[in-house]
Amino acid sequence: MDQSGSYPVKLYIYDLSRGMARQLSPLMLGKQLDGIWHTAIVVHGKEFFFVGEGINSCLPGGTPLGEPDSVVGMGCTEVPAEIFMEYLTALAESTYSGDKYNLFEHNCNSFSNEVAQFLTGKKIPSYITDLPSEVMSTPFGQALRPLLDSVVINPGGNNITGQR
Amino acid sequence: MADQGAADPGNNNNKPEASEGTIIKVTVKTPKDKEEIAIAEDASVTQFKEEISRRFKAKQDQLVLIFAGKILKDGDSLSQHGIKDGLTVHLVIKTAHKSGDGGSTSASSSASTQAGSTSASSPGTNPTSTTGSTGSAPPSTQTPNILTGFGDLASLSGMGMGSANFMELQQQMQRQLMSNPEMLSQIMENPLVQNMMSNPDLMRQMIMANPQMQQLMERNPEISHMLNNPELMRQTMELARNPAMMQEMMRNQDRALSNLESIPGGYNALRRMYTDIQEPMFSAAREQFGNNPFSALGGGSESGVQPSRTENREPLPNPWGPPNSSNPSESGGATTGGTSTTGATTNPSVSNPLGINPGNLGNGMFNSPGMQSLLQQISENPQLMQNMLSAPYMRSMMQSLSQNPELASQVLMNNPLFAGNPQLQEQFRSQLPVFLQQMQNPEALSVMTNPRAMQALMQIQQGLQTLQTEAPGLMPSLVPGGIPGIPTGGGLPTGGGLPTGGGLPTENPASPPSSAGTNTTQQQLMQQMLQMFAGGGGVGGGGSATTQTPEVRFQSQLDQLNAMGFINREANLQALIATGGDINAAIERLLGSQPS
Repeated sequence: MDQSGSYPVKLYIYDLSRGMARQLSPLMLGKQLDGIWHTAIVVHGKEFFFVGEGINSCLPGGTPLGEPDSVVGMGCTEVPAEIFMEYLTALAESTYSGDKYNLFEHNCNSFSNEVAQFLTGKKIPSYITDLPSEVMSTPFGQALRPLLDSVVINPGGNNITGQR
Repeated sequence: MADQGAADPGNNNNKPEASEGTIIKVTVKTPKDKEEIAIAEDASVTQFKEEISRRFKAKQDQLVLIFAGKILKDGDSLSQHGIKDGLTVHLVIKTAHKSGDGGSTSASSSASTQAGSTSASSPGTNPTSTTGSTGSAPPSTQTPNILTGFGDLASLSGMGMGSANFMELQQQMQRQLMSNPEMLSQIMENPLVQNMMSNPDLMRQMIMANPQMQQLMERNPEISHMLNNPELMRQTMELARNPAMMQEMMRNQDRALSNLESIPGGYNALRRMYTDIQEPMFSAAREQFGNNPFSALGGGSESGVQPSRTENREPLPNPWGPPNSSNPSESGGATTGGTSTTGATTNPSVSNPLGINPGNLGNGMFNSPGMQSLLQQISENPQLMQNMLSAPYMRSMMQSLSQNPELASQVLMNNPLFAGNPQLQEQFRSQLPVFLQQMQNPEALSVMTNPRAMQALMQIQQGLQTLQTEAPGLMPSLVPGGIPGIPTGGGLPTGGGLPTGGGLPTENPASPPSSAGTNTTQQQLMQQMLQMFAGGGGVGGGGSATTQTPEVRFQSQLDQLNAMGFINREANLQALIATGGDINAAIERLLGSQPS
């Protein structure tokens, strides 16, 4: 195992609304949201993200969302793939199992944030993690909250534990 | 310094002695929990690990500490990494599973190697199995198994104590692929896959390795002959690579097959062919590949000539839209409707047969027997429509299209029919939002699934068609504005009114009413049909902005008059118009103008 290697870590950011949030948010929410962000961490040649069924992985850009809207380099990590998978498996058994998914509090972005910190010590850009609170601070968001709480984003990929 | 308090293993976390360094509190975070550990600032990693192993009840060599993306090695010191008070260090406790993981990793990888190793000629088969490190293996060295891109995932899931069985994983993949056409196209785009597919030898070997395939080939030497034909292989692979073309192919093949059906004795031959060749081939291929790129092969030699045809239409062919120029035959529409829904992008015209008809009618293609039989099939088989419309991606496609008008217009404009007619494009474009709204309108959808409604629509079309042939000069004169209602009533969509509906009829008189049955007028006629659809506003609702050409309205009356022996359709129609649809009055009018 090569521990002195350095593996680049990237953050893939997708806009789930495909640009519609940017256009419609001032109208609907009263404030400008540039997108509904879904993020995934790309490291060791794979993309990892947290969804309704747990932590999933796929080839980078391999979800039906296609190519990310933007890619942020998070730096490099020394963590080799094996250790990383152990870490993810442990996460998947504890705080990031599928049933823990919550669109606002504990979603893909929280996962990406945590993993990014684990891998590189850095957090993901704050505009992503602030999104839920931004939405909640609007009357519209609050009204929609019960509905949104039941929404689970599931853009594909394979569950890392092989379970569904 | 031997008396450094922190170095004393017997000490508790509360190290009373802090000779050189101050005590800092470092949070150690595992995936499952976190603890705060106090340790001297200048402690070494080893000491830190000792502390941690005590607290977390794990062996020191199981601990992997990560800070700021770096692995903390035993020889380092905390300050070397910049670990200060209040910071968080991540901890991963290696489970004893690790060797087991590595074992199952190589097990699943070797399984994939086996599956892929049929291609003995393939270079560098799966070094991931040998290295045992999973994700870091660069994809370029993986086996040219079609699922190679997911080879790592295979080992991943093995490591995850899940389905280490490669076949099971493969099936999962297949299922996902099936349900997710985009993924398929992405796989196809993977340069590795493309490389593999462009190597006919490889493909042939892979196919032949499948025992079922081998059986098949023994029974039917033609198949092996086909496989050995590199040209055919290459074409087929080209096909497989291009999902649109593949659909086209399948459609053609289906059509050809159904042609066969109609030949006496042909049905039996077909059936025989299917059970002998196609079925085992399908199942064999499916087992290996998940979808059947070689359906062309199974279809017999007749489909051999078709692969060379390039696609001439949008990815999702429009069963009710203009049949492509190379379509001489009829029927097969039902199956094409079924097969063509797997496209990733679709054309809203699929659900709105009349919507695209302006161009159709103008080109006269609408009158092709293919179209008619398609429509017949549709109306006879409402289930088909239902199935099509309820396909999940269909729905989401329509939704996304309706939400994204530019995309829809792009898709439609690319339809070669429209390409040559900018005026039509303009008209269409302006109506696009309404169209798409219509797609969303559940009533519109229910029309499609309502066989009687479909039949009614077909009657309308037939009426128009007949009119076209019999009295091309009549069309322009049948364009007064704003005639509401429609006799066939029923489940016609009553969706939102069409704001531009009023504008169109006025355009029509302006257009040159030449008796040449110009494309424009016919198209505009169809536009009116469209208006009628989009802006129905209720059956018979007066004053709606819709237009209704009289011959459509008077279709049934015209038929009656025809049956009575008044064969001069033009005169009939004018009489009907004059009398507002009253047959008796019209007859009197006609009789009055004709010598009795």
